Amino acid sequence: MSQLKNFREYYETTLRPELEIIDNEKRKVNRRVITIISITITSVVLELLLIPSGSMLKVTLPMITAFAGFVTTDILSKSSRKEFKNKIISKITGFLDEGLTYNPDGLIPLPEFLKSEIFQLSCDSYAGEDHFKGKIGKTDIEFCEINAKHKNTSSSGSSQKDEYVSIFSGLFIIADFNKNFRTRTIVLPDTAEKLFGKFGQTLQSISMGRGKLVRLEDPVFEKEFCVYGDDQVEARYILTPALMERIVAFKRKWNKRISLSFIDSKVYLAINMNKNLFETRIFRPVADYSFIEENLRFLILLTEIVEDLNLNTRIWTKE
Amino acid sequence: MIYLLVSVVLLALAALLLYNSLIRKKNDVENAFASVDVMLKRRYDLIPALVEAVKGYMNYERDILVKITALRANALSDNISNEERVVIENQIRQKLSDILVAVENYPDLKANQNVLKLQGAINETEEQLSASRRAFNAAVTIFNNSVEVFPSNILAAMMGFRRRTLFEIPESQKARPDVSPVTSSR
Repeated sequence: MSQLKNFREYYETTLRPELEIIDNEKRKVNRRVITIISITITSVVLELLLIPSGSMLKVTLPMITAFAGFVTTDILSKSSRKEFKNKIISKITGFLDEGLTYNPDGLIPLPEFLKSEIFQLSCDSYAGEDHFKGKIGKTDIEFCEINAKHKNTSSSGSSQKDEYVSIFSGLFIIADFNKNFRTRTIVLPDTAEKLFGKFGQTLQSISMGRGKLVRLEDPVFEKEFCVYGDDQVEARYILTPALMERIVAFKRKWNKRISLSFIDSKVYLAINMNKNLFETRIFRPVADYSFIEENLRFLILLTEIVEDLNLNTRIWTKE
Repeated sequence: MIYLLVSVVLLALAALLLYNSLIRKKNDVENAFASVDVMLKRRYDLIPALVEAVKGYMNYERDILVKITALRANALSDNISNEERVVIENQIRQKLSDILVAVENYPDLKANQNVLKLQGAINETEEQLSASRRAFNAAVTIFNNSVEVFPSNILAAMMGFRRRTLFEIPESQKARPDVSPVTSSR
């Protein structure tokens, strides 16, 4: 945690001046937003009162005015958010690890997300932001926020209704694994065994095309996760007793629903989360040390994944 | 009459399913055992290469090198029992680990690309060996359960299937220490 010790100084000298500029901007923007909202409301009310009833304009004009007001406030409030991400989060990333780059609007491409085979429903809406990419020690890593949805179409009579259900919302991470392997191994949270006990074990054997169920000898790990793989030996070559312990510890540290897959000598990790990360605060200033430190701490937690899963240890044939 | 016929058909069907499942489990055990054997052979192939690579440098550890070569020859000979083989394999594992630790004392060896590659290959084989032993144990546990649990135990007894013994995984392999800090980065 040496970074945290030096961070105060970095914050005071480099970040604070920029944060204060952002706060000034934010105050100006907030004033403008309030003005625009007031003007919009007044105009809508006046339009409703003054335009004679029966005219088409009585409906369309207030709608257009309200829409224009909404778009303008949205554009204005996004500007300070962009400044915060581009300037502050980028700098925090560089401060933490020079090998790491940050793209606020970037995301892991959909084919890579699908390649993990963690999610089986078709992905019909895919969005993401806060893409970090780089090398930590010997390990290539990238992560971002992802929001993936599946479209359910239900038809009642002649009308069709589309409904989007969430497949995944949270952090998605791809890191280079420290061993080479050819087959797939997928580690999913064990809901069946937790809910139904022994009967759940039978349910688990239905793998839905993810290979065969792999029963591992670590009872704590088995209680938390359920493993599918194409090759019984390779699944155990990846999931050594030491790595199983590390994954359980990692799950406890985050206390979230976690799924992993090992494909093409890479590890894919999906951490379910509902919080929108690395964002500004609307009504409170951003030039606040504890708020900025919280962002750094979270980034440290994320980069520690390499350490938590021991990915930098390269004592096997992969370099 | 019809009920009797239906019962006989159902029983025959159940017996057939049980029989197939037992055969499948027995084959899984044999496959898993074969993969352990493949890894052991890979380990035997690596030993002469390692001895060759380090013998020019290691003056104090010559007896380890002689011993491991002798152990390898013993393990490859046909007239040893399974128990003897297990003992020899354990000794080989220990000696390999000793050599890799001794490499640490020789800066020239530590920097030698050939030795580094061999270290990686040995660590890899040991990890694969441990994985295939664990896979074997998992297959044997499933097989043993079928041999002992009713009703498959009746069929298993008729087929002459007996409980199989598990591999003992040494305590040190359960949480395998990194034998070569040379190539590990931290």
